[in-house]
Amino acid sequence: MVGLQEGMCPGLDGGLLRSLLAADVKTVEDLVSSDLEEVAQKCSVSYKALYAIRRVLLAQHTAFPVSGADLYDELLSSTAIISTGNPSLDKLLDSGLYTGEVTELSGGPGSGKSQVCFGVAVHVSHQLKQRVIYIDTTGGLTASRLLEMLQSETSDRDEQMEALQRIHVFRLFDAYSLRDRLSTLRSGGLLQASGGGSVKAVIVDSVSAVISPLLGGKQNEGMSLMIQAALALKTMAKDFGVAVLVTNHVTRGGRGEVQPGLGASWSHIPRSRILLERTDRAPSGCSSTLRSATLIKSSRQPCLIKEELDLQWWSRSERRSSGKRKRDEADS
Amino acid sequence: MFLTLPSILEKWPCQWSSGASGRRASPSFNAGEAVTALELLQRERECGSITTFSSQLDHALKGGLPVGKVTEICGAPGVGKTHLCLQLSVDIQIPRSFGGLEAQVIFMDTEGSFVLQRVVDIAAAVVRHFSLLAVDGEQKDTMQTFNMESILSNIFLVRCHDYVELQAELLLLPDFLRDKPRVRLLVIDSVAFPFRQHLDDLSQRTRLLQGLAQQVISMATRHNIAVVITNQMTTRLQDSQSHLVPALGEIWGHASTTRIILQWEGSQQVAAIVKSPCCIDTAIQYQITSEGFRDANQPEITLTNRR
Repeated sequence: MVGLQEGMCPGLDGGLLRSLLAADVKTVEDLVSSDLEEVAQKCSVSYKALYAIRRVLLAQHTAFPVSGADLYDELLSSTAIISTGNPSLDKLLDSGLYTGEVTELSGGPGSGKSQVCFGVAVHVSHQLKQRVIYIDTTGGLTASRLLEMLQSETSDRDEQMEALQRIHVFRLFDAYSLRDRLSTLRSGGLLQASGGGSVKAVIVDSVSAVISPLLGGKQNEGMSLMIQAALALKTMAKDFGVAVLVTNHVTRGGRGEVQPGLGASWSHIPRSRILLERTDRAPSGCSSTLRSATLIKSSRQPCLIKEELDLQWWSRSERRSSGKRKRDEADS
Repeated sequence: MFLTLPSILEKWPCQWSSGASGRRASPSFNAGEAVTALELLQRERECGSITTFSSQLDHALKGGLPVGKVTEICGAPGVGKTHLCLQLSVDIQIPRSFGGLEAQVIFMDTEGSFVLQRVVDIAAAVVRHFSLLAVDGEQKDTMQTFNMESILSNIFLVRCHDYVELQAELLLLPDFLRDKPRVRLLVIDSVAFPFRQHLDDLSQRTRLLQGLAQQVISMATRHNIAVVITNQMTTRLQDSQSHLVPALGEIWGHASTTRIILQWEGSQQVAAIVKSPCCIDTAIQYQITSEGFRDANQPEITLTNRR
């Protein structure tokens, strides 16, 4: 069910929309299934205009069969694999975040989810020169940390500032504004929000922070909000060809095993899921930047492969990008 | 504003909330708008941070407790959680000419642990410290007004007896913050005490706490205040060994942006940063003196393997 919105198709302007709503035609489904003559009389608009709108809407909202060969061609031409900037994470994800897909990071407090998100944002905006939309629901986004990561990438101040400007941040603290923001982004707002540049990554840190307070209990409103947000994320990933990265908290199952939060319905949403944990065996002295990452859902790689991840990777001091910079210079 | 039932049904709840809170939100922050990370960086720099009077802890936190973020302080009884909160309540009032924030504080006391005598001691030590530092005329002028009386009058104490009162107070807080725009610090000491009693349904407790966390986070961002929440510790059995971990469950751990655990290590008090987006995890030693929260005498930094 898609609600009717202004500017959805040519001819559907504010005045018509209001009179349609007054005539109790609220969704595309309502309009398509209604008796057009009756609606035309009620709203005092021409039958022809309504008929044209209906045809456009039908074309927009109908599923058409696509042949596998076409799909494959499209896949080859439109899918990009965005490196996370961290080799061990790339290895787990089969070389990076795929555009058109939702990837999930889950982990307990202090397991490094936000750090990975920062790292990916910085890598995409600096190395790949693409725009990033970062939706922060926990107040955890710290721009000075982003700057720190950038400083280890480049010493050029202008480049740092440019990279920071390519990261667009939304700070939303409840599920309703998250849902609304995602649906405006899906219906075209993605291009507006970024000021016209192409967006390649959307990061939501974290989904669970706003949704899980509404889950459980006797209401099932939270469930519906969660699915609406999930749907918006998935269609956005497909339609705009962006990689979506979301974070999730963890809960403990019956036998004390760690599993991602938000329950079974959510578990179908992300295409790949990674569980981040603190490593138990840490060499004394530098205790805590190492994390273990486990792949728990994937359509490409065998599950349950484990990799060790160093959170310091994105801000390490020794630079391997001297070679990279040379290559950039050669390109330009 | 009068609306008929159908038009109410058409509105989403968030439209209501944005309509209601839109007027209240401070002009510096507009919830729905995208900001670039660069603007965010400038904002963060303007906000500044609150010194803790322990140079090691300040250094580990990159300048002090961040304003606009939520910090959680966990620790066993008597290790100095409340003390650190009291110290921060005084520190936030340090005059601008000394590089402070010159702001006010709301102290929500749920345990009844706010001891005025300790505040007086800490404030006296701070006033003494800065009167020794005052060199130029401007600083000497500010010292005329920066005294015990002004410090105490800038602390607003709210005593909450149970979680319902705490939640009610948090709901009213945006109005209070609008009336008192100089408030830059909210202390909740502690969140664990009211939520560890009278609540039998654990999943309900988790939901309530998560709702509270989101409320506090959005307040910190919208009104640009530092939020400090203290939490108790609990024991968890794992592999037939007991560990001391922060109370209120694992999901609550996501609420804070920075998490500091205060603990005893032998005869030493150690503050460990276990979760932070901008600092690496470190542990530093501190002590509680009659003057307040201070560095430990021997300034060596111990890196300990905590988990």
